[in-house]
Amino acid sequence: MISTAQELHPAPVLEQGRTILELRGLEKRYPGTHALKPVDLAFKSGEIHAIVGENGAGKSTLIKLLTGVMPRTSGEIVWEGQPAALATPHEAMALGINAVHQEVVLCRHLTVAANMFLGEENSRFGILQQRAMVRQAQTIIDDLGFDLPAHVTLGDLTIGQQQLIAAARATVRGTKFLIFDEPTAYLTRKEADQLFTLIRRLKGEGVTIIYISHRMEEVFELADRVSVLRDGTLVGTRNIAETNDAELVKMMINRSIEQVYHKEHFTPGAAIIEARNLSGKGFENVSMTVRAGEIVGLYGLIGAGRSEFVTTLYGRHRKSAGQILWEGKEVQVNSEHDAIKLGMALAPESRRDQGLCLNLPVGFNLNLPIYKRISNNLLISSTQEKTQADRQIADLRIKTPTRGALASSLSGGNQQKIVIGKWLAHGAKLFIFDEPTVGVDVGTKAEIYRLFGALLSKGAGIILISSYLPEVYELADTLHVFRRGKLVATHGFHAASHEDILTQALAEKQEKLGGQI
Amino acid sequence: MSTEAIAVEKPKRNYNVLFGLTLLALLVLLWILLSVTTTSFASANNIANLLRQGSMIAIMAVGQTFVIITGGIDLSVGAVVGFATVVVAMMINAGFPIWLAILVTLLVGVAIGMFHGFGIVKMGLPPFIITLATLTSLRGIGLLMTNGNSININSDTFTAFSRNSFIGIPNLFWMVILVGIPAYIFLHHSRWGRYLFSVGSNAEASRLSGVNVQRTIYMAYTLSGLCAAFVGVLLAARIGIGNPTQAEGWELQAIASSVIGGTSLFGAVGSVHGPLLGAFILATINNGANLLNVNSFWQRIITGALIIIIVYFDGLRRRGK
Ligand SMILES: Nc1ncnc2c1ncn2[C@@H]1O[C@H](COP(=O)(O)OP(=O)(O)OP(=O)(O)O)[C@@H](O)[C@H]1O
Ligand SMILES: [Mg+2]
Repeated sequence: MISTAQELHPAPVLEQGRTILELRGLEKRYPGTHALKPVDLAFKSGEIHAIVGENGAGKSTLIKLLTGVMPRTSGEIVWEGQPAALATPHEAMALGINAVHQEVVLCRHLTVAANMFLGEENSRFGILQQRAMVRQAQTIIDDLGFDLPAHVTLGDLTIGQQQLIAAARATVRGTKFLIFDEPTAYLTRKEADQLFTLIRRLKGEGVTIIYISHRMEEVFELADRVSVLRDGTLVGTRNIAETNDAELVKMMINRSIEQVYHKEHFTPGAAIIEARNLSGKGFENVSMTVRAGEIVGLYGLIGAGRSEFVTTLYGRHRKSAGQILWEGKEVQVNSEHDAIKLGMALAPESRRDQGLCLNLPVGFNLNLPIYKRISNNLLISSTQEKTQADRQIADLRIKTPTRGALASSLSGGNQQKIVIGKWLAHGAKLFIFDEPTVGVDVGTKAEIYRLFGALLSKGAGIILISSYLPEVYELADTLHVFRRGKLVATHGFHAASHEDILTQALAEKQEKLGGQI
Repeated sequence: MSTEAIAVEKPKRNYNVLFGLTLLALLVLLWILLSVTTTSFASANNIANLLRQGSMIAIMAVGQTFVIITGGIDLSVGAVVGFATVVVAMMINAGFPIWLAILVTLLVGVAIGMFHGFGIVKMGLPPFIITLATLTSLRGIGLLMTNGNSININSDTFTAFSRNSFIGIPNLFWMVILVGIPAYIFLHHSRWGRYLFSVGSNAEASRLSGVNVQRTIYMAYTLSGLCAAFVGVLLAARIGIGNPTQAEGWELQAIASSVIGGTSLFGAVGSVHGPLLGAFILATINNGANLLNVNSFWQRIITGALIIIIVYFDGLRRRGK
C-alpha cells in the first residue's frame, strides 16, 4: 500500500533520494511492554520524515534503537547498504547519526560550550582549550541564528533554550542523519521558527531528518513524508501532499476526534483568587482575578515571568510587593503547604525537575498530594491507594503495565499525564497548569481539556499557562499576555487575533533584536 | 489507546519482598554452613551472643536507613552511641531513677538529630559535613565530660537487663522487634514514610506536591539520632560502663548493613527488613570468622568484599528489571 502510493505519485525531490537507512523487522521489548513490534521502514537521504503516534506508541523507543542508546530485541538496521550493529551511541555518531532527545540529556552544571563539545573536547597536550571552545561554540550558535551566549551554565537557560543548544550540538558532529524527538514541546513560536530554519537548511545540505511531534501543523509545515506508529506497529507511511490532518489522527488512534478544544462556557462565579499589584522575582505589578468556572490563560514567551508569577501565588517564592486575596480576604502564602491548604494545586512546567519522583512507582506519584486524605492518623489505606491510582490511570489513559511501574519507564507524554493526574483527585479550588500538555498526544489532549471542563463545572478556577498559542486561545475565558515580567494586555475569549497577541508578546524583544542587527 | 499493553505479563512487583527473601536465604545458608563446620556456632551461648551483637547494629541501621532514603547520610551515629553511654552512666551514678536516665539519654539523641536537621535545612550544610562534624565533636565532648576515663555503672538492675533473656531470647533481640515493628509500619504504611521516599527521589517535586520537605528531613535525622541513643543505652547496659570512645566505627557498620539490605545511597530505595537482615548477616560473618579462627584483619576484608558483591548484584537486577 505504501509503495504503490509512492510509485503512482513520485514526489520529485524524493526521486533522487536513495535509501540511506533501512529498518528490517526492528523490534523492542521491555519487561512488561512490547514497545516496538517488528517495523520495516526506509528513510531516503535528504528527506524530512515525520513520525507521529500516540503517547507510548514507540516513537522514542525507535529513536533510542537508531542512536544506540538501547539495544534492540531483534531485527536489522541497514545503514547505506551495510547492516549496522548500532550498539553504542558512539557508533551511531561515528556513522553520522545524531539525535536531539525528547528530554534534554546534557549536563546542566557545565557551560553551553562544554556541552556542545562534550566527548569531543578540544585539548592540547591534554589541557582543555576552554577559551577556544567557547569561541567556537559561540560562532556555531551565532551562525545558526540562535541568540544565546556560549559561556553561561546550561542550567541557567530555559528548557526551550537548552533544547536549541542540544540541536546545535547535534549539528556540529558531521551529521548525515539527524533525529528530533518533539523538539518544539518547550519552544515558543519564535524559537521554533529558528529551529525550522535550521532544519530546512540541514535538509538543503542533504541531511536526512526524522521529526517527531504531536503538533500536526508542524508536520505539515516541515515534512516530506510521515509515518504513523500505533501501539508499536507501523500503520502506514504517507507523502505529506497526499494526506491530511484527519487521516493521520485516524491512523494514530484508530478513531476520529471531532473536537480537540472542548470548551463549555460557564458564567464565572465569585472570585477565587486575586492578585493586586503583585511583584516578585521575574515579574512586576501584576493584577488579575480568577473566578469560579473560569479559565484564565497566560500567554507569553518563555522567560516572560508567567511561571514565576504563579509559583509566587503558590508560595514557592516570596512576593516583594502587592497583595494576594483568597476568596476576598487577604492571605499570606508563605509556603506551598499554605497554598495547598487554601485550596490551590500546581502542575509545574518541568516534569523531570519539578513534577515527578522518577524512580518511584506511578501510583506513588499519583497519590503523593493526597496521602493525607487517604490515610487516617497513622496508616495509609492501601485499598484507597490502589483505587485512586487506578482511577487516574484509567481516566487519563496512562499507558503503564501496572501502577507499580517506575515513573521513569513511562513515555514522555505519559509522564506528563501523571503530573496533571495527581491533582485531579485532590479537590482543589484553584488549579494552576503550567504547560500541561507538553508532549501529550491529540487524543489525550482532548481528554485533558474535557477534564478541565469537569473541574470548572464543580466550581473550580483554572490558570492555564501555555506557550502554544492555539491552546490558550481556544480555552481561556480571559487571556493575559505577559512580556518581560509585565502584564501587557488582557483579552476576552477570542477577542483578539492570533497576530495581535503574538505582537503583544513579542514587541519589545523584536525591537531589541532589530536594534542588534 | 488499546488495552493490549496493559494485559501483557505483569512485572514482578514485589521486588522488595523478593530481595528480602534472598537475604534471609543467605543468612540461613551462613548459619547452616557454620553449624556444620564449627562445633561451637550452634551453641545457645554463641547464638545469644550473636543476636546481642547484631541487635545493636540492626537498630542503628534502621535509623540510618531513614536518613539514606531521603538521600542523606548520618555519620554521627557511632559517636552518638558512645556519647549516650556516658550520659546514661553519669545519670544513673548520680542517683537518678533508671527510667529517667534512659529518657534523658533518648532526648539527647533526639536533640542531636534535630541539630543535624537544622544544619541541613536552615544552614544549608551537606549531610555528610554536618554529621561528620558531630562525629568528632561529640567524642570530644564525651571525653571532656569523663576526663577521658570510663565510668563504671553502679546499678545491677540496669546492667542485668542486657544479659537476661525473655522466653529464651536475649532481651537485646527483643529490642530489635520493639524498634523494627513500629519502624516498618512507619516506613511502609504511613504517609510520613512515603514522604521520606518522595523527598529522596525529588525534593522539589515533593515540595510542590505539598510535602513538608524540611520537616521530613528533620524527622529522618531525629529518628536516626534516637535509634543511636537507644543503642547507646543498650550498650551501656551490656558492658556496664559509660565511655565516649565506645562504638568506634559503628556508623560504617550501620551504613554497610543498610546498603547490604538493599538501601540505595542515591535515595528513595530502601526498607526496614533489609537493614535488619543486613546487620545480622554482618554479625554472623564476624562471629563465624572468630569461630573459624580467621584473622580479624580478614574479617574486615570479607565485609568489604561482601558489600561490593551484594550491591553489585542488587544493582544488576534493578537495572535488568
Ligand atoms: N525504560 C523503559 N522500561 C520499560 N518500559 C519502557 C521504557 N521506556 C519506554 N517504555 C515503554 O515503551 C512504550 C513506548 O515508549 P516510547 O517512549 O517509545 O513512547 P513514545 O511514542 O515516544 O511516546 P511519547 O509521545 O509519550 O513520547 C511505552 O509503553 C513505555 O511505557
Ligand atoms: Mg517519546
